[in-house]
Amino acid sequence: MLRKFGLAALAATVAAGAATVVAADTPKKGGTLVIVSSQVPRHFNPAVQSGIATMAPGAHIFATLVRADADWKIHPYLAKSWTTSADGKSVTFKLRTDAKFHDGKPVTSADVKFSIETQKANHPFKTSLGAVTGVETPDAHTVVVKLKHPHPALTLAMSTSIVPIIPKHVYGDGQNPKAHPRNIKNVVGSGAYILKEYKRAQYILLERNPNYFLKGRPYMDRIVYKIIRDASSRVIAMERGEGSLFAFMSDVAAIARLKKSDKLVVTDKGYAGIGPNTWLAFNTKEGPTADVRVRRAIAYAIDRKFITGQLHRGVSTPSTGPIVPGSPFYTREVETYDVNLKKAEALLEEAGHKKKADGTRLELTIDYLPAVPDVQQRIAEYARGQLKKVGIKVTVRNSPDFPTWAKRISNWQFNMTMDLPFNWGDPVIGVHRSYLCNNIKKGVIWSNTQQYCNPEVDKILEAAGQETDPAKRRALYVKFQQILADDLPVYWISVLPYHTAYSKDLGNPPVGIWGIVSPMDDIYWKKQPK
Amino acid sequence: MTGPAVPAEEPVVIEVERPWREAWRMFRRNTAAVAGLVTLSLIVLVTVLGPFVYPVDPFAPTGPLLLPPGEQGFLLGTDQQGRDLVVGLLYGSQSTLMVGAAAAAITITIGILFGALAGFYRGWVEEVLMRITEFFQVLPPLLLAMVVVLLFSPSIYSISIAIGVVSWPATARLVRAEFLRLRELDFVKAERAIGARNVRIIWTIILPNAAPPLIVSAALSVGIAILFEAGLAFLQLSDPNVMSWGYLISVNRPQILEAWWPVTFPGLAIFITVLSVSLIGDGLNDAFNPKLRER
Repeated sequence: MLRKFGLAALAATVAAGAATVVAADTPKKGGTLVIVSSQVPRHFNPAVQSGIATMAPGAHIFATLVRADADWKIHPYLAKSWTTSADGKSVTFKLRTDAKFHDGKPVTSADVKFSIETQKANHPFKTSLGAVTGVETPDAHTVVVKLKHPHPALTLAMSTSIVPIIPKHVYGDGQNPKAHPRNIKNVVGSGAYILKEYKRAQYILLERNPNYFLKGRPYMDRIVYKIIRDASSRVIAMERGEGSLFAFMSDVAAIARLKKSDKLVVTDKGYAGIGPNTWLAFNTKEGPTADVRVRRAIAYAIDRKFITGQLHRGVSTPSTGPIVPGSPFYTREVETYDVNLKKAEALLEEAGHKKKADGTRLELTIDYLPAVPDVQQRIAEYARGQLKKVGIKVTVRNSPDFPTWAKRISNWQFNMTMDLPFNWGDPVIGVHRSYLCNNIKKGVIWSNTQQYCNPEVDKILEAAGQETDPAKRRALYVKFQQILADDLPVYWISVLPYHTAYSKDLGNPPVGIWGIVSPMDDIYWKKQPK
Repeated sequence: MTGPAVPAEEPVVIEVERPWREAWRMFRRNTAAVAGLVTLSLIVLVTVLGPFVYPVDPFAPTGPLLLPPGEQGFLLGTDQQGRDLVVGLLYGSQSTLMVGAAAAAITITIGILFGALAGFYRGWVEEVLMRITEFFQVLPPLLLAMVVVLLFSPSIYSISIAIGVVSWPATARLVRAEFLRLRELDFVKAERAIGARNVRIIWTIILPNAAPPLIVSAALSVGIAILFEAGLAFLQLSDPNVMSWGYLISVNRPQILEAWWPVTFPGLAIFITVLSVSLIGDGLNDAFNPKLRER
């Protein structure tokens, strides 16, 4: 099952032309899919911009070299097949010859080379293609990616719009790709849908690409992203059938409410690759939390099960370490700090925080990421109540907006903060960044803002990032998770209860590891809505 | 000449009621205003006594989450963190009333300062002060308050200051108008003639006579400030470390479609408080302007 997922496929040659995903019954063509969304994209070029707002529509517009299914298996997409050299330092992709961009120009190896180079130079996920040293194009449909060291995460990164294939004849005109006018207007990819119209903060209209290289697909005539900024209005839009799909729901009450609808299916599938990890991060360099005993005491005082079971009403799952439970590298063999107030008090006592006359031992602040209260503010307030029980007086600091919070945390002006970074499929892409010594970068949010540094961890991560044998690689990550749980730079709480609600009449809903950040060329109406 | 002695005229004592007593008599005649006063007094009483009767941590969860009113002994139910709403309302009134009073005090202080100086000195002082007043008056108050709160990060102090800072221009204009009227009256001129210093004229001669409309305006600005605090809280700009009605609304708002009570009860509390403050304000207006009332 999860163990035999497809990172191993890297070493092997994958049979050419294998069907991607097979639908249970014959899909019908036609219709419009209305996706309810809160996200306002800045533009549509995911080669230079991360974030779901750009990546989801980007995955429909731009095809990628490979694609992934719900079991972490990698399938051909623009690439018919790929082989990895014996030393793991070179990966050769054979491209389809029939793929064309929306403007009719063919997709060639030059475009792939250009895409990889543009992504590497501009994308915030530095580790996704960090190991790439060069790209060779022996002929128009062969691409050889040269690597500094084996990079087992390569095909996984290429299976979603982290590495989209963009046309060189459009973006290769010397303009800054981050501010290119074609990122938002007249966007040209080779994917299943063509961007027809974007009304800022209102809607995105995508239309079926009639010359899509996978014959017969996509099944939908149109995808419309309806952007609704108010949370309650999104729920009501789904209930009234104005929208047929609503992804990235994190509002517990909304999930509970939509689950009651007999016209909708609500699922937590479709986020395994994204791996949203809700956690409480500590400042490990300054203040009382620099002492690991204080960090452990805090972990013992907080009841993870109360958060997932009560605050989140069972829609989220406990997270016990840096790698989320959905990942093939996850292990539960770590210290989990099950709630124990006596142990917490003993640890604080040991760390020299004696009880004062008013019952407090020490004072701390807690920050939280604004705008997603269920997975941030509510947990922070719950933690304040729990920590009070063991003599820690906690002040909750409200950041009115994201920049305020990001500035505080990235400049290390905090004791503790709630946060929710994503795993992004492979640990190399989304996990390493939070714990490597050399990623302690003042002013950069979602770097190692805990300022945690353990040379042993660095060594393990470096080895794991290059290990091509899945079993050995897993062993390295297991060790990594155990050390981290002991050092506890972060107290991991839950996998953010992201859920997708979709109409019962939809076939092939997006429940793969990348969810809606996938081509969505197979989704169809079993029964057209009225 | 003898004649019947003209009896010394009985000194006629003219009953001149003191203006404050007169005002109180007029106020009492306004039943709605008295009802407002009684309600507000009750709220203040509960606010002061509540923590003694019910000495608990208002943030501590005491029951299951989002329990409907009346179940398991929770009169008003519980909120999204399992906190008793009765306790939340009881403790929340403290900071809500405090913000109201503090913001009103700031409004009145700045308003009097600007209005009095502008109205008394006139000339370039008035020009400068009134241009500043107009500058604040043309800015949308809620937006400006948001900016101020964002600047200092949300706390009960920054919220009070923000509300005070955006609401003073109306008071300043009112005070200036009163000063413009009063400074030309004879008793003020007389003071000036005997050489009274400007500070004395402003503080002890004109200001007390300008008090009635100011008191009315102060009462109304308390109500406006409470509403403002709730509005800011609705936009997630509330102090998470201080229990207030606005905070309760702010944190429970995402659940409103499912659980109406954690938002409705604090909302009702705000409504009743602001209503009683407004009624008192109306009553004061009648009391100080009896002629207006008789019209």
